[in-house]
Amino acid sequence: MLSAASRKYPGIRALVLLLLLLLAAVPSEAADTVIVDVGAVYASNEGTSIDPALGTIRGKLHSMFNYTSYRMLDRKRRSLSVGEAGEFELPGRRTMRATPLPAHRDKVRLSIQISDGPRNLLTTTLGLRRGGMVLVGGPSHQAGVLILIISAE
Amino acid sequence: MDCRAALMSIEAKADGLLPREEETGLAGHLDGCPTCAAEDAAISATGPALRALTGIRAVEKAPALDAMWTRVRAGIEESREARRRSSWIARWAWIPAVGLAVLALLFYPARTDRSPFHPSSFDVAVEDVESDVATVALVDKGEDLPRVIWIIEDA
Repeated sequence: MLSAASRKYPGIRALVLLLLLLLAAVPSEAADTVIVDVGAVYASNEGTSIDPALGTIRGKLHSMFNYTSYRMLDRKRRSLSVGEAGEFELPGRRTMRATPLPAHRDKVRLSIQISDGPRNLLTTTLGLRRGGMVLVGGPSHQAGVLILIISAE
Repeated sequence: MDCRAALMSIEAKADGLLPREEETGLAGHLDGCPTCAAEDAAISATGPALRALTGIRAVEKAPALDAMWTRVRAGIEESREARRRSSWIARWAWIPAVGLAVLALLFYPARTDRSPFHPSSFDVAVEDVESDVATVALVDKGEDLPRVIWIIEDA
């Protein structure tokens, strides 16, 4: 029935083909693929605004730190395979390198390296659930500090 | 002209098909043959009566015929319109399809959507941590708050 309709209406056939292509184009989140999401937040005592882009984290940042203002400077999201290193540029010429490591089921293991030029600021290995989050803060930025929101799905 | 030929001519005359040159011959026969004259009179009277009856029936049926024709015409128009509509859809279906494809290619593969953070878990294990140039502190303020790795840059 569909083939008869598609013969009669070539436009419909094109539409069906494109939808199939779309389905194929949507990346499947396979178990060996990790989506790493890194948000760079500038925390300071300049003003009292909290960026709405921080979502449900806003209240938590406010209760954990003594800063009055939180502004998202940048956010990057990458899909990485296990063993594949992804570079994330951070404000202030800093960089972060994230590499997913082999993990069991709904767990994600990430090797994280944060550098400030040639200086190694942090090297760590994290184990978290898919959808989990960790904060890395402290590097100075302008009149405040940077707080990185690192989550993995 | 004999009676048989006269009868055929009478029928032809009633149908309006009798050639003009034969009318004189027929009239001559009818003058001398009462039987054929009676037949001619009967047939000549029947034709106009039938035509009149047909005319009356046509007038009676005219409204019904008009209504039927209106319905037929409406049906024809409707099917033409349906064909036009479907061919229009088939002709332009690729435009929304291409639009969908472009949107999907823009948003799905890059996965750069900026939805706010909504973490499902703060359960994080820090397997190892080190720094060449800073002191690193682990801050854990409970299960409801994210774990923090705080980098204290050495002066």
